[in-house]
Amino acid sequence: MSAAAPRTLAAQPPARFTDSRTLRMFVVPVLLILVWQAWTAAYPTVRTPTPLKVAGAAIDMIASGDLPGGVLQSLGRVFGGFAVAALIGVPLGLAMGTVRAVERNVDPLVESFRPIAAIAILPLAILWLGTGTAAAVAIVAYAAFFPIVVNTVAGVKRVDATLLRVAATMGIPRFTVLRTLIVPAALPSIGVGLRIALGVAWTAIIAAELAVGAKAGGGGSGGVGQMMFVFYAYSIELNRIVVCMIAVGVVAYALDRALRALLRGLMPWTH
Amino acid sequence: MDALNGAAKLRLSHVGKRFALKDGAEAVALQDFSLDVRQGEFLVVVGPSGCGKTTVLNLLAGLELPSSGTLTLDDKAIAGPGAERGVMFQDYALFPWRTVWGNVEYGLVYGPAGRGLTADARSARVRHYVDLVGLEGSEQKYPHQLSGGMRQRVALARLMANEPEVLLMDEPLAALDAQTRLILQDELLRIWGQDRPASGRRTVVFITHAIDEAVFLADRVAVMTSQPGRLKALLDVPLPRPRNDDTRTHPDFQALSQHIWRLIRAEAYRATVT
Repeated sequence: MSAAAPRTLAAQPPARFTDSRTLRMFVVPVLLILVWQAWTAAYPTVRTPTPLKVAGAAIDMIASGDLPGGVLQSLGRVFGGFAVAALIGVPLGLAMGTVRAVERNVDPLVESFRPIAAIAILPLAILWLGTGTAAAVAIVAYAAFFPIVVNTVAGVKRVDATLLRVAATMGIPRFTVLRTLIVPAALPSIGVGLRIALGVAWTAIIAAELAVGAKAGGGGSGGVGQMMFVFYAYSIELNRIVVCMIAVGVVAYALDRALRALLRGLMPWTH
Repeated sequence: MDALNGAAKLRLSHVGKRFALKDGAEAVALQDFSLDVRQGEFLVVVGPSGCGKTTVLNLLAGLELPSSGTLTLDDKAIAGPGAERGVMFQDYALFPWRTVWGNVEYGLVYGPAGRGLTADARSARVRHYVDLVGLEGSEQKYPHQLSGGMRQRVALARLMANEPEVLLMDEPLAALDAQTRLILQDELLRIWGQDRPASGRRTVVFITHAIDEAVFLADRVAVMTSQPGRLKALLDVPLPRPRNDDTRTHPDFQALSQHIWRLIRAEAYRATVT
């Protein structure tokens, strides 16, 4: 529509790291780091983490393999718990959304457990499952379950009633309607539930490992959360705690981007 | 018109439909409604908003059940939805996650309409109807990428692909702009097969509030009045087929439209002030 000569996509130069848009993404983070550095330079104390000290700690922790090991350990637990939550939450949500009797029975249960934070079931999880991976996975699954089930039910409820009438007038069998109509129609909402759940799962694993993995000793074998606990309670290394915090944030961002890309691929009709 | 004087394909006799209102009172949507729809006929039900014409269509589709009276298809009672009665809804009602092709083939893949068809025969059927409605080249597009007129073409192809005995259409052109609407009226008659002898046509019940649309399309027009919904008049449309742009300027077209307007004008007026 513009007066300028039209440029086809192929004619545009390939995107480079130095593109202004890519650079602009880093303006706020870089500013924050500069403010942080200036602040710690103005008010120095022995233990205050500074950007430079944190960067040094990060290099150490990556080189020793502790940080990658811890992140991988935590990720494994997150995926395990998230998978359990999705495998129970999505079918249960579909059943609740389509069969009124199921919803009437299960909804009060879901809604009364939902306000109970995952961390609050920690004592029970440790008592029943010990202080290892099983307890951590259970806590993650518990936390991730609620956003999945609630959003799946909402997605099913919002399916356009006319589409269901179309299927009815075509004589489509009930279960086929669920499989070929209700599931794809609810998929955008289920996808939102999965994204929230993955974020919650990652939050929950850190909290769970702070307690569950506390006896596992040093290194990365207890996961990121346990590493943070050790740096806080035993070796008192604030720089390393900040490295862990940043790692948690970066991984959470990457996970969300990956899941979004996956969901986009599954739903080509939404874009 | 002789071929149209055959047996009733659909029969509504003394049909009544009441709805319970929230305050415990009842609303009468339809009262003592009797009508025979003949095999191969294009019957249009026209009336002001709220006259119960959509209720008539939902009852025929089996999506609602009557409070009194009976509805039959080939003398068998209509007890629920069935693939032999295809429905086209007002707001396209396409599956947004399926392409044009995927929408048209849906009933054949998952419903009884495709029973006994090989995959090749099914593709050929989908191909035929996609081409018939003029959507060749758009098979892989999703509904959100299409204009309103194209969406309604997809809905029509999806309906036709199941080859139902009866086509039930609930204001299928109401959401379109005036020009697209005129074009799709022509297209609808072409696809229905107005060039074919009447014995080779499908039975259509078409709901609309637009009088000119009713007269242009119909073999017969059923005029309804509201509160309660009742059949006010059943009129033959003597205009020759195939119908085209000349039909719209035909004196009979004008006269019949005027006549129907006089029948419902008082009510249509009231509907705008109450």
